[in-house]
Amino acid sequence: MKRVEVKLSLPVVAPLLDVIRELSSELNKSLAAPQALHDLDQDFRGAWINELLEGQNQDQRALLSLFDAQFFTEGVVAFDEVNAEPIVRACTAFRLQLRERRLKSLSDEALETGEIDMTGLEEPVRKAFMCYLFLATVQELIIQHLDSSIIGS
Amino acid sequence: MENSWRVVVLNDPVNLMSYVVMVFKKVLGFDETKARKHMLEVHELGRSVVWVGVRETAEAHVFALQQWHLTAVLESDEAR
Repeated sequence: MKRVEVKLSLPVVAPLLDVIRELSSELNKSLAAPQALHDLDQDFRGAWINELLEGQNQDQRALLSLFDAQFFTEGVVAFDEVNAEPIVRACTAFRLQLRERRLKSLSDEALETGEIDMTGLEEPVRKAFMCYLFLATVQELIIQHLDSSIIGS
Repeated sequence: MENSWRVVVLNDPVNLMSYVVMVFKKVLGFDETKARKHMLEVHELGRSVVWVGVRETAEAHVFALQQWHLTAVLESDEAR
């Protein structure tokens, strides 16, 4: 089983974990990407949303479990075929929530290009934006550097 | 004759292009070229019809795409 270890900068990433934990708590009972399900009957819609929510919560736990004792002592996190997909999905859920709740003051274009003057941002927005970029980096790492045995088609 | 249903993916400003391509490959079995074509359609036109067929399968695709947090909707030909 292929496993990829990545060394992160503890002083940079550790403060972002507070944001990630807050996001996880906010997303406990709501979907990161609310979906239009008009064509489904009400009972089916409820079951559909519950199943999406259950998956979303499992994915978040996978991402949070990256930051274990090894991370706090060595700054190392590890991706493998078991956790890669849940973590990629969790990154998306957190990024959607960040945009919706904490980065409303930034334009979509600015978020997409990343061309933002960090010094001009208030601290909570700066931290949220750092988190947004960090999660995108994790996604790119998994998507680009792990082979098809991990993200199988 | 049974209605045909479309699976439509809508644009969002958050998901990375590489992520959308990966999801299309994984969920819908697209090759790289087809996945990129639909990703660009979503990005530039705001939506892309990624699958057409019977309702049950369309629902399964929509659910799987939503598990990956893409905004995916089901549309019937009757609605046209």
